[in-house]
Amino acid sequence: MAEVTQAVVNGLQMGFLYALVAVGLTIIWGLMEMINFAHGEFLMLGMFGAWWLSATVGLDPLLAIAPIGLVMYGFGVLVYRLLMRRVQGGDPFTQIFATIGLLFLLQNAVVAGFTSDYRFVNDSALTHLSGTKLQLLGIRFGVPLLAAAGLALLLFLALYLLIERTEFGLALQATSEDRDAARLVGIRPQRMFAVAWGLGAALVAIAGAILVNFFAVYPQVGLQFTVLAYAIVALGGFGSILGTLLAALLVGVIQSVTVVYLPPAFKDAFVFASYLLIGLFRPQGLFGRF
Amino acid sequence: MRRLAVSVFIVAVLVSGALFGLGTAPAANVTEVLIGSVLPLTGNFASLGQQYLWASQTAEDIVNNDYPDLQVPLGPGKGFPGLGGAPIKFIVRDDQSRGEQARTIVEQLISVNKVHWINGEGTSGTTSIIQPVVESAGIPLTCHACASPTLTEKGMKWFWRTGPHDKVMVASVFSFLKEWREHGGPTDLKTVALFTCDNLFCQDNRKVAAEQAPKAGFQVVLDLTTKTGATTLASEVQRLQAANPDVLFLVQYTAETTVFQNDAKRAGWLPKVVATSNGAYSDETWLQAQKKTNAAAGWLGRDPTAIDLTHQRPSWQKVNEIYKKYSRGQNMGELAMREITGLLWMADVINRAKSVEPAALAKAARETNMGPEQLIIDYKGIKFDDHNQNVLATGVVTQIGWDGEKHTLWPWDMATKAGFKPMFPNPSWQERDAKPKPAS
Amino acid sequence: MARLALVLGAAVAILYPIPLQLQGYTYYQTVGFLVLINAMLGVGWNVIGGWAGQFDFGPQVFFAVGAYVGAVLFARLGIDAWLGMPIAVVAAMLLCALLTYPLTRLRGHYFAIATVAIWMIAQPIGATWDAIGGSQGYFIPVKPHASVAGAALSLQFAGPTKALGYYYSALVLFAVTMALMALVQRSKLGYYFHAVRDDQEAAEGIGIDSRLYKVVARSITAGVFAAAGVLYAFWALSVFPEQVLELNWATLPIMATVVGGIGHLWGPVLGAIILIPIAQIMSTTLGTGPLAGRGVDLIVYGVIIVTIAAFRPTGLLSLPWRRWLRREPRGASAEPAAVDR
Repeated sequence: MAEVTQAVVNGLQMGFLYALVAVGLTIIWGLMEMINFAHGEFLMLGMFGAWWLSATVGLDPLLAIAPIGLVMYGFGVLVYRLLMRRVQGGDPFTQIFATIGLLFLLQNAVVAGFTSDYRFVNDSALTHLSGTKLQLLGIRFGVPLLAAAGLALLLFLALYLLIERTEFGLALQATSEDRDAARLVGIRPQRMFAVAWGLGAALVAIAGAILVNFFAVYPQVGLQFTVLAYAIVALGGFGSILGTLLAALLVGVIQSVTVVYLPPAFKDAFVFASYLLIGLFRPQGLFGRF
Repeated sequence: MRRLAVSVFIVAVLVSGALFGLGTAPAANVTEVLIGSVLPLTGNFASLGQQYLWASQTAEDIVNNDYPDLQVPLGPGKGFPGLGGAPIKFIVRDDQSRGEQARTIVEQLISVNKVHWINGEGTSGTTSIIQPVVESAGIPLTCHACASPTLTEKGMKWFWRTGPHDKVMVASVFSFLKEWREHGGPTDLKTVALFTCDNLFCQDNRKVAAEQAPKAGFQVVLDLTTKTGATTLASEVQRLQAANPDVLFLVQYTAETTVFQNDAKRAGWLPKVVATSNGAYSDETWLQAQKKTNAAAGWLGRDPTAIDLTHQRPSWQKVNEIYKKYSRGQNMGELAMREITGLLWMADVINRAKSVEPAALAKAARETNMGPEQLIIDYKGIKFDDHNQNVLATGVVTQIGWDGEKHTLWPWDMATKAGFKPMFPNPSWQERDAKPKPAS
Repeated sequence: MARLALVLGAAVAILYPIPLQLQGYTYYQTVGFLVLINAMLGVGWNVIGGWAGQFDFGPQVFFAVGAYVGAVLFARLGIDAWLGMPIAVVAAMLLCALLTYPLTRLRGHYFAIATVAIWMIAQPIGATWDAIGGSQGYFIPVKPHASVAGAALSLQFAGPTKALGYYYSALVLFAVTMALMALVQRSKLGYYFHAVRDDQEAAEGIGIDSRLYKVVARSITAGVFAAAGVLYAFWALSVFPEQVLELNWATLPIMATVVGGIGHLWGPVLGAIILIPIAQIMSTTLGTGPLAGRGVDLIVYGVIIVTIAAFRPTGLLSLPWRRWLRREPRGASAEPAAVDR
């Protein structure tokens, strides 16, 4: 029993990290329904940015969140303005095509600039806390992970308030539901989409800056996180920010509890099998609106 | 219908004419020796591929330039003396870590670039896809750092490997553990857990280890295969902790090894012995990073060479200086050493063959009998068996010390020379945090 | 005129390798092989993606099923590749139908992730199932054949005609696929698929069982992927799970379909004819020499893709080819050929 409790706690801690990666995707994909195959590359750019700032000017990744978030916001807007706005004129599948191109471009630009070496951030506030022991009722907690979880909660809260409680958020939702109707009430849909891409890119890059405290950084790092992020957004339900958070925690727990008893090679398979199983009863995800 | 037939004919004639005009084969006169090198330079295995790339640039540099006092094949003098001083030229291509792409490139290298030798692909899975093509074309193929035993067991006539394969290398780890008892090591090591990723390289290691462990007197208490690209290994660590093995046989790539270290530290657990095989243990960037955290001090693993002793050789140091010109300052790791050794052997073969004809190259390759003094690595030499596997390639066991460097533990004669006192048991995480870090 | 283009295209496809083969080249045949196999996958994916309008990111699972079934039938029972192919195709289609039917409760993006889910579950099965070699791969034994017919039947070409043999085998398989898909497109099935894509509710209203036709569409896709998988397995002489389950087997055909024009029968073919040679040219020119290992070729490739997407998001077949061709009757014989190459 203690084993399972520990696994649940471990899973929840990981779940918050997954939530961080998924939150940007909730906006671009979940809310605006645009497919971005390069989401993992945005994450990777955030990780590289944080590593680079740490290695060259000694900026702690947690402090790097601000500049990285700003730069990637601009980058996201640019990607929408220059590329995705035009792509929207075609079939939805063209978005896949365009963002695969973007994936090639970004991943290999980093290979060209930095080589495919693995990079590590060992000198940060969070990594220094990694030896700190925190034990409650025989359950071990990772202090850096708890800190990351706190940050994830803050980001989610901010995003939730932004989307659900502000006029801007309502405009964003209106755009995602009916572009033409939104235009009639004076919303400029393209501007909304641009902001959504900016926000999505900024959030996932921030996630990257937090993740460098736990994972090696290399140009191909994005995929394993993005696959999970896609499952999380779908599992949580489209357009539901709270759903994404809860789904992320659920995914973390599924991964961690199943593997206590079952073959670890099937770790992600269990997550996706759960998605299928849940999908049979809740085809709109756990908290989806449609 | 007639119009159709006529236009078909015209197009056919035009197309064939154009294509015939395109390709006039180059003259057979050897002005340079072309080596086709297909490598995973982008995609999943890019971090391995780049080391092979730097290795080939180093080998090209050594052959083509005059290094008068460099004691390796083709070190002194420019180009191949056996071929009137003709230089070597590597045509390096990236297959994006994809099998079908590698194979297509190999067809191009052979039939369009007319290369004389194919080196690649650096990973065993893709190498087995290009093997049949090169076999059909009948020119030599080498992959020196590929460690899958199957590559030389298929009876290919045109495939050579100078490096050791996994059977040799994993066996060396278990030989060491077995013999350690009689050489002043711990006598109470009885159980082992296998902890490997799910791809070809890890599974090859796992299968060999599962065979070797009982022979060395170990009971396998847990055999976990993890997912390549795992983002967490916390539950796996829980299971390992519950199984409580004396020895953890860990075969994971760099990213997953990092995840494991974080999760093991969070759990406050490490077994008495961590034995690894390749993967992160062969990755220079990971080894350097350990110097900042002490996280791998006391880990031991198999290497193809006694790296601390090799470093003292003048030839190693010189080759490393050349290598660093291409690697942006990174030191030559054991993967690069295996590759450079193999490539210099290849240069020696070409030089002895005095020809680039496949039959002559094959003959010279089969006749290889190279002594250890010409190598930058600790093989006992290079000599092939019927399957073109170098029988003198060896396995060495090394351990990472508090200084972050690898030290030789086995074979015993080399260990005596290295003079390193083995660390046992594995230090705890607190001790690792408390000790000064070699690189900070 | 379409017929003329078809005949010319076929003539080029049949004849172009001959002079190359005589010159001792094998590379261009292999590029042709890759174009054909990806074109074929694109045409297959077009059924579920283009005609039935469903997001499917997991067809590579059936490519893998085909590869394994074909390989196992040959290695264990000695059933030649072409004879094993129908079995592999039927097996993949049945498996697909069985797996997909429950998934069709999910729609749109939810369905897309469900197809990804099947792929994510298939990966560890392939990697750990010892009966099919796990990640250590399943090897196809080489059986020398005395006759050309025997070699062709078992897809085991040796020596200098290896690349050529696989090219023509791919061409035959491609032609059969095109013929079958053209039949599907013209049949009632094609009509139902479009109805489901355009308006699922309306389709249900006139009595079309949308779930059934999604399953049928995806199973046809699966069949095409399985057939290509068999061919690939014999080409590679080995089946490694990470190779046959690679995401590229989904993304490249999808990309080819989008470039050519989604929903058009020939769109994916055009796309493959454009994309694969571009990638090869990039790799040959920018991916070697001093730039090797920097990924520069892939950066440029990415830029090309992004540019095509930005400036022709509806695909190249949506360009006003007919008007251009009609205005210039003299170029009529050259233009479609250019398209087909």
